[in-house]
Amino acid sequence: MTASVRLEALNHWFGTFHALQDISLEINAGEYVTLLGPSGCGKTTLLSVLGGFIDPSQGTVFIGDADMTRVPPAKRPTTTMFQDYALFPHMNLRDNVAFGLRMAGVAKVERYRKADEKLDLVGLKADGAKRPHELSGGQRQRVALARALAVEPEVLLLDEPLGALDLKLRRAMQDELKDIQRQVGTTFVHVTHDQEEAMAISDRIVVMNAGRIEDEGPPSRIYREPASLFAADFMGEMNHIPAKVEASVAHTSLASVPVANLPQGAATVCIRPEAIRQDGEGLALGQATVKEATFFGTYTRAHVTPVTAPEIVLVAHLVPTDLPKPGAVLHLSVLPEDIRVFMKEIA
Amino acid sequence: MRMAAWLYLFVAFGFIYLPVVTLVLFSFQDGTIPVPPFNGPSLGWYADVLADDDVTDALLHSLLVAIGSSATAVLFGFLAAYGLARHVLPGSALMRVLLIAPLTVSYLIVGLGLLIVLNRTGVGLSLITAGIGHVVINLPLAFAIIYASMGAQHENAERAARDLGASEAKVVLLVTAPMLAPALAAAFFLSVTLSWDEFIIAFLLTRFDITLPVEIWSMLRSGLSPRLNAIGSVVFLISVTAVLLLEFTVLRRRRS
Repeated sequence: MTASVRLEALNHWFGTFHALQDISLEINAGEYVTLLGPSGCGKTTLLSVLGGFIDPSQGTVFIGDADMTRVPPAKRPTTTMFQDYALFPHMNLRDNVAFGLRMAGVAKVERYRKADEKLDLVGLKADGAKRPHELSGGQRQRVALARALAVEPEVLLLDEPLGALDLKLRRAMQDELKDIQRQVGTTFVHVTHDQEEAMAISDRIVVMNAGRIEDEGPPSRIYREPASLFAADFMGEMNHIPAKVEASVAHTSLASVPVANLPQGAATVCIRPEAIRQDGEGLALGQATVKEATFFGTYTRAHVTPVTAPEIVLVAHLVPTDLPKPGAVLHLSVLPEDIRVFMKEIA
Repeated sequence: MRMAAWLYLFVAFGFIYLPVVTLVLFSFQDGTIPVPPFNGPSLGWYADVLADDDVTDALLHSLLVAIGSSATAVLFGFLAAYGLARHVLPGSALMRVLLIAPLTVSYLIVGLGLLIVLNRTGVGLSLITAGIGHVVINLPLAFAIIYASMGAQHENAERAARDLGASEAKVVLLVTAPMLAPALAAAFFLSVTLSWDEFIIAFLLTRFDITLPVEIWSMLRSGLSPRLNAIGSVVFLISVTAVLLLEFTVLRRRRS
């Protein structure tokens, strides 16, 4: 089962704190969408509004074509996978997974059959008789997923589901989550503050900050062509070069970048560390002195200071075969399509 | 120094347990007076006590009152704790205080107060009225124990149950209460032991059917006898059983 989700002009206040500000968002049926942002950005609040745990102060939530804004969680075609899993400690895994079906009045034989099916889906077929406390963190996480999927929701909401796992397990579970989502076809809405997780898993990322949507789109687009400085920074490391825009050209102390459609004023030129090149292609950034360089396996990470702008330190990811010594002088350049320019926001 | 520590330990435990040991020892007295010298072991007084219908009736009454009043106190305590822990209610701090406050009132005052009310309303004294008195004294304890163990992790499981389609009643019955089973059992067994040997309220609020402590008191008026020691030993045995049950079922499970 799967359904689309449409949020229209959502606003929510906690007391005087404006937690969600004019959120409008469409999610297609069967899509894997990630709400990404720092803590306090409103992503978990938005998920709670979707799940029915918070009544939004203003706005409408449509699931499929039905208005679900005031429908309680029990009556929504959504289930939530909670951050701490919230398994029932006094029930074995089969009963945990079958709980939603039991509430729906499904007969015991049938609900156990379905529960076993879902346990099989998450690779815990043999452990139906175990209690949650006998499991590792990763296994509990799978049980929570199986339990949420057992009632065949149209939309599955995942609240930082991988937050409590160690890094290696988290990366493995990401692939598994995505794989399971492909198999069941349910719409997944996943909340995280880990941009690598978001990129690995999503069809579409929604970047949130201070209760607003900053950017939304496919991972590669958001990474390469972020819509705002915040989204650019949050998606990964970014070099900031102060600039001034005059007559459709952003002037910096390194280079002048042609920009269309930007007004005059202070701006920031952004370049990803891996976009800085040594082969001379694209726009020249001039000479830079290496402060230090470290070998990182797939690349060499270097802190460099441009000769023309000694107050700036750039981070560059260079080819791993070459480890420059401190003091070495490099000729840097960048392809024009790898440059983003954002106007300074007027505070 | 080490010797002194051991000595202190012996004296302390002696102080606590010597009366009980004496009581139990002289329940086996072969003779009619429960004072030294000990004349040799005999089970005669136990046979005598168990053949006495007044005593066995009183024992059954005590069990009935203890179990009934404890079950009621735990039920009310659980409902109060659930309401106050899970819902934002006006004056909830005041309600918590009012629920716990009866702990500070002496049993004598609780008993007297109930006696006056019952006399005024014309309700006859019985085991039920004694049971009501025991609910009054045990409810604050039951509430405090259960309220203290309602944590946030339970709340999340309740949220998950609701999300999966459970009604409020199903959430309480299938998720909240089973998760709180250790606290519920602890509150129940503690209430049972307190009700089991409570004297003054039972004395004031019973008439024809009486509980064991009241029976013992009426027997005491005819002087000391190893019979009393035998009854006391049985009472002690039952209390110990309740405590051991608590230890093995509740506290052990929590440790694992």
